[in-house]
Amino acid sequence: MTELNVHSLARVEGHGGITVTLDGKKVKSVTLDIHEGPRLIEQLVRGMKPEDDVNTVPRICAICTLSHKFAAIRGMEKALGITPPEKAHLTRELMMLGESIESNSLHTMLLALPDFLGYPSAVAMLNDYTDDVKRALRLKKFGNHIMETTSGRIVHGENPIIGGFGKYPGKKALEDIKAKSHEMIPDVKRVVELFAGIEMPKYAEVDKDKVFMSVDAPKKKYHMYGDRTLISNGKDFDVEDYKKYTNERVVAHSFAKRSLYNEKTFMVGANARMINMGKRLGGEAADLLKEHYDKAWLRNPLYNDLAQAIELVWAMESLPEACDRVMAMDDPPHEQPTRLTGSGTGAVEAPRGTLYHHYELKDGLVDVADIITPTAQNLDDIEIHLKLTAERMLAEGKGTDEVRLGLETVARAYDPCISCATHLVTLKRA
Amino acid sequence: MTRPSPKIGVYGFTGCAGDQLMILNCEDQLVDLFGATEIRSFVMAKSDNHEAELDVALVEGSISTEAQLKHLKDIRERSKVLIAIGTCACWGGPQAMKLGDGKFEERYKKVYGNAKITVSKAIEGQPLDAFVKVDMKIPGCPIDKQEFLKSVSKLVAGKHPYLLKSPVCLECKWKENKCLLLDGKFCAGPLTKGGCGAVCPSHNLPCVGCWGPTDDLNVSAEYDLLKEKGFVPEEIITKIRKFGGSGVMELVKNLEKKEAKK
Repeated sequence: MTELNVHSLARVEGHGGITVTLDGKKVKSVTLDIHEGPRLIEQLVRGMKPEDDVNTVPRICAICTLSHKFAAIRGMEKALGITPPEKAHLTRELMMLGESIESNSLHTMLLALPDFLGYPSAVAMLNDYTDDVKRALRLKKFGNHIMETTSGRIVHGENPIIGGFGKYPGKKALEDIKAKSHEMIPDVKRVVELFAGIEMPKYAEVDKDKVFMSVDAPKKKYHMYGDRTLISNGKDFDVEDYKKYTNERVVAHSFAKRSLYNEKTFMVGANARMINMGKRLGGEAADLLKEHYDKAWLRNPLYNDLAQAIELVWAMESLPEACDRVMAMDDPPHEQPTRLTGSGTGAVEAPRGTLYHHYELKDGLVDVADIITPTAQNLDDIEIHLKLTAERMLAEGKGTDEVRLGLETVARAYDPCISCATHLVTLKRA
Repeated sequence: MTRPSPKIGVYGFTGCAGDQLMILNCEDQLVDLFGATEIRSFVMAKSDNHEAELDVALVEGSISTEAQLKHLKDIRERSKVLIAIGTCACWGGPQAMKLGDGKFEERYKKVYGNAKITVSKAIEGQPLDAFVKVDMKIPGCPIDKQEFLKSVSKLVAGKHPYLLKSPVCLECKWKENKCLLLDGKFCAGPLTKGGCGAVCPSHNLPCVGCWGPTDDLNVSAEYDLLKEKGFVPEEIITKIRKFGGSGVMELVKNLEKKEAKK
C-alpha cells in the first residue's frame, strides 16, 4: 500500500492535508485530514451571559468573523425574544455585503486564481498580472473598509451587539462607500471575466446532480441570512430543525466533525446560493449568471469560484441602496430582552456556506451552545470529489505533482475555513 | 551596499488565523513587504514554502496538539528571533480561559465523545512561551496593522521594535471618551493592553479585554471596583479570564483564595 500526500494544504485558512491511499493502481481512500487543534469553544461559553458569548464566538474564525457575530446575534435575539430595530437590521445587511466583498475577492483572486494560471501565489503573479493583483487588493481593502465602518474594526469588530449597534455608521462614511461602489463595478466584472475565461477542469465532475443547501433569504431576496434553509431538490426546512439535516459524526483523521443529508453528502457555498437563489438576482449580476450558468455547476464543485465572482457583482451593486436605507433612518435605542430563558437558532450565509448558531439560555446564561460551520458540512463532499480526481488523474497517468495540484485545486474551490470547521458541536447535553 | 533581505516565516497554530489575515490586510504595503523580505514560509498565502533557517518567525495561535508542539520546537530551533503575534500566541486566547481548572478532558469528551481521533493528540491550549523562548509579543485580537508594520519595519532595518506599554484607558482618554465604568458598565480597559485605539469605548461599548493583560495590571483593584458597582464575582472572573489566558491565571487564583478566606 502506498500513499500520496499533500502535507500542508496551502492558500486556505487553517491547517489541513490530503492523504491518498493506493492499493496497487487502485485508489483505496482519500481523506482530507484536519490538523487544526481543537478549542472546545461551545463548552467554554457555557455559563456565560449572552453578550459575552457574542464577543467570544467570532474568534472561531477571522475570515468569517462577521458571519459568526451575526449568526450568534440572530440566535441570541430569538432566544431572548428580541426583534431588532429596522436600522440595526439594515446595518447588518450592509456589513454582510462588506464581508462578501472582502472574503470573495481574497479567495477568488488571491488564493484560488494562482491554481488556474499556474503560479504558486498571487504575489508570484505580480509581474504578469500586475493590474489584476492590484485590483484584488483594492477590492479586498474596500470590503474591509465596509466591515470596519459597520462593525468597528476590520477583524473582530464589536460594534454589532444584541438588540442593535454600539454606534451606527455616520452619513459621510456611508456616502463615501456609495460613491466608491459605483467606481468599483468594472473591477468586480473583471473578476467574473477572469474566471469565466478559465476552462474548468472536469476531473472532479460527478455524473449525477449534487445536493446544495443555502438559506432562503426573506422576502424572496438574494441575501446572506434567513430563517429557512433551501435544498436544491426543491425541499426546505425551518432552521430550528438544522440538526436533522446536518447530522454530525466524528472521524479519526480530523478534529472537525462531518455532515450528511439523507446519508449523502451535500455542498454549501456561493454556488449553492446561486443555484437556490440565483433567480432572485437583479442588475448585471443576473445577466452574468444567465450568461455563465451551466448545468455543469450542479456536478462540478470548481464552479464555486465563478459563483463567488458573480456574487461580488451582486454585493457591489447592492451597496448604494443598502447605504441609502441606513442613512434614511434615525438611530433607534437598543432593544431589550423580553425573556431570559429560551432557545433560538441563527442561520447566516458565511462566504463559504451556511453557518448555524444554536443557543439554549437558562436564567440569562448560556446552557447549550451548538455551532455548525459551513466547512464541516462540506468535508464529506470534498472527499468524494477528491477521490474521483485522484482516480481519474492517476488513470490518465498524470505525475505526482500534477495530481497533488489537482487535489489541492478541488479542496481550495470550496474556500474551506479549517479553523471554523474545527470548533464544533456538543452532541449531548451535559 | 544593500543589506541582505531578512528571511521571514509566518506560521499559524490554534486560533482564528486573524493575525495572519491582518498581514494580508496590509493591502497597501503587502507588495513592498514581500519585496523587502524573503518570505520563506507563509502557508496561508502561498504554495512555494521552504522550511529552513529564519531571521524572524512570526507565530500566531496557541498550541493545542502534540504535533503542533513538535512543529513549534522545530521553528524555534531554526529562527534567530521568534515573535508571538496575537492574543492566542501571547496568552493562550479564548481557548485558555479555563486554563488550569483540571477539567480539559471532561470538556473534550463532551465535544468529541469517545471517538478515536488519530490525526494527533489534543492538549489544553497554551501560549507559545509555555513551551519555547519567545523573544517578543505583539498582542491583539487581532493584531493592529500599524503596530505590526512599525515592528516589522524596525526589524527589517535591524532595529528593536517598541510597543505601547499602557492600558486601553490611555488611548480612551486621548479620544476624550466618557469613562464607561462611571456609568456602571463592565469595562476591561484598565486591565487590557492598549494599541487598539480604544476602539470599543469609542463605539460606546465597554472594552472586552481582547488584547490580553497590560503590563503592571492591578487585577485586585479592578475586581474590588467592579464588585462595588454591583457585579457578582463569577461574572467578573469570567470576563477577566475570557482573553487573559496564562497572563491572568495566577492573579485570578489569588483573588479566589482571598474571596474564600472572607
